[in-house]
Amino acid sequence: MTRVERRDKAPEPKPEEPKNGGGGISRKEFLEMTGTGIAGLVIGGVVGREVFPKAAPVAEPVAEPAAEPAAGAEGAAAGPAYMAGFTIVFDPYQCTGCMRCAVACAEKYSAEVAPEETADLINLEFARIRPMRFQYVDVINICHDCKLFPWAEGSEQAPCQEVCPEDAILTVPEGEGKAGYYGMGYKYVDREKCLGEDKCWRCAEICEDQFGSGISFDPIEKKAQVCGRCGGDPECVKACPEPMALTWMPAMRNGRFHAFQPTGYAELLYRKMFNQRRTL
Amino acid sequence: MADLKGMTGKIARVDLTSGTVTVIEPEESIYRKYLGGSALGVYFLFKEGIVDPKVDPLGPDNMLQFMIGPTNGAGPNNRSVTVTKAAYNFISIATSGGQASAELKYAGWDGVQVVGKAAKPVYIAIIDDKVEIRDAGHVWGKGAEEAEMVLKAEVTADLETREAMVRDADLTAEWAAIRPPKRKGFGAKRLAQAWVIGQGGENQVWYANVMTEAGRAHGRHGPGAVMGSKNLKAIVVRGTKGHRVADKKTFLEITDAIQMSERGDAFWREYGTAGIGASSAYVEDAFPIRNWQWCSWSDPNVRGMTGPFMYAASFVRKQACPGCVLHCLYPVEITSEDEMMNGHASDMPDWEAMGMIGGNLGYFEMEGASPEDTFTGTYADQAEHLAKLQFTTYLHDDYGLDYIEGGNNLALVMELRQRDLISVDDLDGIDLKWGDVHAVDEMLKKIIAREGVGDKLANGTYETAKYFADLKGNPDIMKYSMTAHRYGQPAHDVRSPADKNAMEYVTVHRPCEHTGGGTAGFVAGDWASAIAGQNNKVSTGDSMVACIFPGGHWAGKTVDIVKAATGWSDFSEQDLFDIGARTYALTRLFDIHTQQLSDPKEQWDKQVPQRWFNDPLPNGAHKGAVAYEGNPDKLFNEALPAYWKERGWTEDKGIPTLETLKALGIDDIAGDIAQQYL
Repeated sequence: MTRVERRDKAPEPKPEEPKNGGGGISRKEFLEMTGTGIAGLVIGGVVGREVFPKAAPVAEPVAEPAAEPAAGAEGAAAGPAYMAGFTIVFDPYQCTGCMRCAVACAEKYSAEVAPEETADLINLEFARIRPMRFQYVDVINICHDCKLFPWAEGSEQAPCQEVCPEDAILTVPEGEGKAGYYGMGYKYVDREKCLGEDKCWRCAEICEDQFGSGISFDPIEKKAQVCGRCGGDPECVKACPEPMALTWMPAMRNGRFHAFQPTGYAELLYRKMFNQRRTL
Repeated sequence: MADLKGMTGKIARVDLTSGTVTVIEPEESIYRKYLGGSALGVYFLFKEGIVDPKVDPLGPDNMLQFMIGPTNGAGPNNRSVTVTKAAYNFISIATSGGQASAELKYAGWDGVQVVGKAAKPVYIAIIDDKVEIRDAGHVWGKGAEEAEMVLKAEVTADLETREAMVRDADLTAEWAAIRPPKRKGFGAKRLAQAWVIGQGGENQVWYANVMTEAGRAHGRHGPGAVMGSKNLKAIVVRGTKGHRVADKKTFLEITDAIQMSERGDAFWREYGTAGIGASSAYVEDAFPIRNWQWCSWSDPNVRGMTGPFMYAASFVRKQACPGCVLHCLYPVEITSEDEMMNGHASDMPDWEAMGMIGGNLGYFEMEGASPEDTFTGTYADQAEHLAKLQFTTYLHDDYGLDYIEGGNNLALVMELRQRDLISVDDLDGIDLKWGDVHAVDEMLKKIIAREGVGDKLANGTYETAKYFADLKGNPDIMKYSMTAHRYGQPAHDVRSPADKNAMEYVTVHRPCEHTGGGTAGFVAGDWASAIAGQNNKVSTGDSMVACIFPGGHWAGKTVDIVKAATGWSDFSEQDLFDIGARTYALTRLFDIHTQQLSDPKEQWDKQVPQRWFNDPLPNGAHKGAVAYEGNPDKLFNEALPAYWKERGWTEDKGIPTLETLKALGIDDIAGDIAQQYL
């Protein structure tokens, strides 16, 4: 998939200013250079991971140039920027249901988990992002990073992780995993451990029943699939042709904001968008 | 079974009389010759003898086909096509966008063919290889929108109906204590997609269409009537098997290139077809107003049919077909002072609706004003006019009716009332006056129920005119039937030289279609060849089955994506064009044979609206214009024979010669029929 140039894309970092410039850099230049660095700071407080080198507080720009947008990248941004602590937010007004996100996701992961079987096959069942059309309403189903609350549920894992009998749903810390696929604090299903859809569907059931619709099963080995944000550089967001329809957003959710099934979501969207009451 | 790529090599034939499903596996050579979609469907109409005049279109022997092509699935701009014999007794080929097309490929089918007739209302549920005929009693009589939602939710994968598995012991004690008592197990993991009919199809209104996603229609030539005649409410399909292609890398690269090209297309991405309203009315002078008495407003302040006005007044969001980045459908919420209309979800309207319903039913003028008067209303008035149009669109969609034929039909009756050629009593007391949406609402209810005079109107514009002409003993009434080849004219007039010309409507292979030609520019040079080439190209698109809107973005890539999908490395552009040429030859013979036309030119080709040549445009940029410069003889006796000759058809009747059929490789299925008429 082509990388779509997006309105909300972070600005490219500029070559470093000469240090002896005298007056430092202007606030505008500083903001341009730290567009993503600031985001990194915000999440730094949330998930306690520092993706980016320390940057000065926004309110007091100083001469010390900031922050490379990509972890470990030197100079101009060469490779993709793997972001920790981000989430994918979908805007039902902007999304057109064109399925490009699902094709991009399915292609990436089918080549990863079943390269031989899918050498000539495009199968959206491999997608971790699943668009669903309800006539005039489109709903995008994707993991919302729910976290349980220790004081309520006695755990701070994700619900799917908590009910997995094999501990197959892992959170892969930064520095581990596979760049562009999993890592950076996002989820990952250990396919060796997963019992598969035929024997166990607890993760999917608890998600559907109480939280959202973030789990699917691949069509060949029937192992669970959950969005791991491509390890911090999600393919679906890059493939999306609609400005703001899928946003890669610097805030990981940790509540149960999506505590309903797709049909419930669609019912609410009918109400909100068209002022119509529909039972789906 | 041929090991095909792009296509699956399998067609499900469902016999509703016996309740059986047969898998049809055509040879690869058939796919190479017909590709898929419309051409493959027409091939089966000949092979299975549907072309026989004895086959009643609304009887059990007719075959209704839902077909797709090699790029449908993960490719760009997916559409599906229905192919059957129309209730009008001519060819019916109708395409529609929507996700059902891709879903059918993912389920592993190139098409569904329905024959026979069910004893009671049923629907067909397809999940991958499993094809079931299920009872549809609970949705019979419901509108297309509601029926679709109900049936989609019923077709579930095994996973979705499993017992709950998570037990309290799987949770922490705290969680188990507060877990809500829903425990329903799974919801819909991925919703099925559906083709449905509304009440119009159920009661076999001749111009009933097959709907999907509420606002998309296999819109013309009445496939819904055939579906209703089989007691078939819907086909619901869900697929999990994916789309197998020969060269996946190239296929996805071309798909991506087309989609990224589409992304820069401001025309479609801003207003869709609503973007042409103003230019059609004020520049081209080709907008249908009050049964085509006018094609332009003298005051350009009438703007309820322009994209920017509609966008500001009512667009809520935008919706795409799978693999499309043009998203030409804009869902709206109707906002009106009128309680009947207020609050319905509808779409846009698109170009044809705004012309055939909005202008043609007189919705855009203030009460008592003519299209030549100065417009005295406010923006709020115009928004109300738009609401009437959107509500009537919604009614046609929900009942499952073609609003092109339907708009002509209602406008015909309105003009007959305007001229006092019929009385209110002839209309069962419903006074159909220009702009009266409540009267339209009442009349539509009678049409879909086939009740009273509605039973006459349900047979379409031409039959309605004939009925009133007979009733009143006044053959002049036929003058107001805006039909070519007995089917309603779409929202492009041919009197103005700036839009389409009359040649287009007499050469296209479906009665009075507006999407098959584009011949207005082809008047000089080797125009006959240009028209035939354009017709073939567009027709091949219906075999792909791809959309015509992004044609420019596909330019130069079409044969490559077919090759990438199918792996036919020797497949050429000429092979693609030949598919269109086959469809044209076959549909021409279909129309002639099924209607038993001994003199096709007189009985068929010359059946065009009399208004074209007799009523000059009364105002606008092309005031005074008539079709083909007022020279029907030139059209029918010079231009048309020259076009037929170019196609290798006889110049006197337009019958494909045996040599032509042989060159196209279709003499085996059509040679005998052609022989009867040559």
